[in-house]
Amino acid sequence: MALPDELPRPVETRDLIELFRHQPAPLLAVLHALHDRDGYLSDEVLGEVSKGLRIPLADLFGTVTFYHHFARKPGGKAAPRVCTGPVCCQHGALDLVQKLGATEMPCAGRCDQPVPVLAGDQVLDPHGQPLLSPLPVPNPGGCEECVFAHIREPGRSNLAGYGYEALQKALTMTSQQVLDLVSESGLAGRGGAGFPTGTKWKLVAQAQGYPKTVVCNADEGEPGCFKDRALLDHDPHAVLEGMLIAAHATGASRAFLYLRYEYPHTLRILERALEEARAAGLLGTCEIYLRRGAGAYICGEEGALLNSLEGRHPFPRYRPPFPVTHGFENLPTAVNNVETLASVPPILRNGAAWYRSLGRNGQAGTKLISLSGDIQKPGNYEVPLGLPLRTLLEEWAGGAPEGHTIRAVTMAGLSGGFLGGADLEVTLDEPSIRSRGSFLGAGGIIVFHDGRNMVEAARQAMEFFAHESCGKCFPCRIGTQRLVERLSGEAGPGEKERWVEEVEDLGHTMKALSACGLGMAAPLVTESLNRYFPEDVAAHVGRNA
Amino acid sequence: MTESKLTLDGQQVEFTPGETLYELASRHGKTIPTLCYDPRLEPFGGCRLCAVELEGTKAPVASCTMRATPGMVVRTDSQSLDKLRRTLLEMVASENRELEVDPLRGYASQQLKELVDRYGARTGRFKGRTSGKSHADDNPFILRDYDLCISCYRCVRVCAEQEGDYAISIMNRGFETRITTEFEGKLKDSQCTFCGQCVQTCPTGALADRKALANAKIPGETRKTRTTCAYCGVGCSLDVLSRGDRIVGVHPAMDGPANEGALCIKGQFAFDFVHHPDRLKSPLVRGEDGELHEASWDEALDRAARGLGQVIEEHGRHSVYCIASGRTPSEACYLMGKFVRAGLGTSYIDNCSRA
Repeated sequence: MALPDELPRPVETRDLIELFRHQPAPLLAVLHALHDRDGYLSDEVLGEVSKGLRIPLADLFGTVTFYHHFARKPGGKAAPRVCTGPVCCQHGALDLVQKLGATEMPCAGRCDQPVPVLAGDQVLDPHGQPLLSPLPVPNPGGCEECVFAHIREPGRSNLAGYGYEALQKALTMTSQQVLDLVSESGLAGRGGAGFPTGTKWKLVAQAQGYPKTVVCNADEGEPGCFKDRALLDHDPHAVLEGMLIAAHATGASRAFLYLRYEYPHTLRILERALEEARAAGLLGTCEIYLRRGAGAYICGEEGALLNSLEGRHPFPRYRPPFPVTHGFENLPTAVNNVETLASVPPILRNGAAWYRSLGRNGQAGTKLISLSGDIQKPGNYEVPLGLPLRTLLEEWAGGAPEGHTIRAVTMAGLSGGFLGGADLEVTLDEPSIRSRGSFLGAGGIIVFHDGRNMVEAARQAMEFFAHESCGKCFPCRIGTQRLVERLSGEAGPGEKERWVEEVEDLGHTMKALSACGLGMAAPLVTESLNRYFPEDVAAHVGRNA
Repeated sequence: MTESKLTLDGQQVEFTPGETLYELASRHGKTIPTLCYDPRLEPFGGCRLCAVELEGTKAPVASCTMRATPGMVVRTDSQSLDKLRRTLLEMVASENRELEVDPLRGYASQQLKELVDRYGARTGRFKGRTSGKSHADDNPFILRDYDLCISCYRCVRVCAEQEGDYAISIMNRGFETRITTEFEGKLKDSQCTFCGQCVQTCPTGALADRKALANAKIPGETRKTRTTCAYCGVGCSLDVLSRGDRIVGVHPAMDGPANEGALCIKGQFAFDFVHHPDRLKSPLVRGEDGELHEASWDEALDRAARGLGQVIEEHGRHSVYCIASGRTPSEACYLMGKFVRAGLGTSYIDNCSRA
């Protein structure tokens, strides 16, 4: 993160600690400043952080090892990492790892531009050229948009080209009026869980305890999802404005934007946008702090995110109590996704009825879909809720590559498992997709053509979940590992019926008993594999018998 | 229905505000299985075995973290819960090297084995890689046999919440999770005080009492004798484990009013002096030859009385200073004080435990 110019260079560790020690959520900020300065986190530096922030050294060490991207050896931060997410693996990521002598990293949120290489604070293409987020194409269906409506306007990411009319309007309203408007709009969480935003904000507004907090969850870690990056890169002020409106509505006086590590360019854009907003006096009574994650999918889960901010081991928290009453530092907190917050300014400007009318079949509003994989035109699309999946795939995005047909798609990135066969005829809304045993979630859709081996796709997905399982709860920690072994053929019964029985027993137990969404969702991969592609499973088990 | 009532297995029961479903159910004699629960620690919700059915929720809920609220309808046992618990225990059993461990490893070391047997989960299903990695650590007290670790984190939590040492923590994620000290070092280089609480709360014997394990070959049935630790004035309750006339180990008393399962390095591990070959079993007096020789008590006491008397006569009563051993019982310490004050006439008396 950018440090004040007045600090003497080279910057002393103790000065860096002092710089953040009095801010809320200092640990990640301090660790990143030192990681940036030294290119890794040495034992000595961790010892100083432990003393400076009064965190037991063993705890601090354990927590640092939890994050994928904190390097512990000299030169580690600058060493190249290659995305080996599901789409990048379709595009030769493993060969690139070999060629560059790089380490692998889980999906880095560039499925529309495979294969990204993260080198220090730069995201490059395989030829070493910087990768910038493409603008979303104009809506191919000619549908009215909400969050993308103005994103293609030149200069949009500068304050001069943006304006904060929605915030100005909100400030002329009482917080209750804002809460009512957001409730009436039917806006629901766009990060995956779909909780009604107005209700969440009301609970925070009514909750006892101060200061209250708004958290923008920009830890977009779901493989196949890259919509939040597009919003933050091209329309950062919309997200900041949404946060400030949320603060006004809930009575929050501090806010965090928690950005995933793999978006260094986005971090610079946000730093600049925040500086502009601060200089223009727009923050008012709510200070906004940027915090950078360090490579942990689970930190997109709100309890883990809050623990991460607080400098604790980033395990999810048990619930109840929920963050609306016991969030950041055990105080009332609204945790909202980037897209949700970006939807708020247009709703303020155009009204609740307008937003509701954007959806179809009684569904309110729009949804960003990140489309990638075996599809002619990957990218981000803003669809009216209720749009047929086929329309998006075939008419908007040009269908499968030449000579192929679409065999399957994932839903909710990877968390919704696969849809295939007749279930490709769903509409893009939760009731329709949930009726097929999956969910729309954060809106990532990865396409697989008719030449793809779905057991292999499932193995890759499960390896991701096993890699990202936090280790707190037994069913997920052991279950994801056992499913990987069965999908890779490394272990498990060599006879199909028993293989399926073991895999389903594991999945059923994980779904019923896991402590958070990761362990509950991971078995949708194997469940849908068995449902749609029994012939692939039979061939796989036969091969390993 | 009054405010604080809910339905537990078909029965209306009253709860105390703040009580968890697990605590409530335990109070009513339900034996809900669990591996990560220790009543002394904050609710954690890791092992998920304590899941119960709660009307109105889609999936079972962890009873150790769910607080009772009025009107809840809870089932602690059902066919479906049984199957989930059995499958989960099969999964846990599959990640460890073995289930059978010597009970001398620690107080809770049989918990996993007992649950696996109770649920008939010794099926060998879900074979695959095992988790954990044993850590070579040459300290004389704590064996870190992490091949048996199931990542319940009771050790880490007891170290932080009960002992306040924060010597160990959790590193890595998922199946690669390990228990570690700072920078993966040895316990003796960490903040560890070797209180042994991590050993005694471990439900699989992954952490084991090396002093007790050294006695594993001594034959006979293990007897437990409740007593009070004689090392200092706190009064920690403990159970001395013995076989025949040999002390083989010490367990802290989880219900000890002064210690609630806590001991210190001395109370937990320093019992081997009892059977040590160097231990004095009769008095020694120095002979004309300058060497120490075995003697009778009368002989030794006469000699001591003569010596003390002589010193007092020559240098006055305050020239004598006495120190009582922390290993002696309180009654002996009292007598020592009495002897020094009333007998020798000096106030120069102390006890090594006071320092």
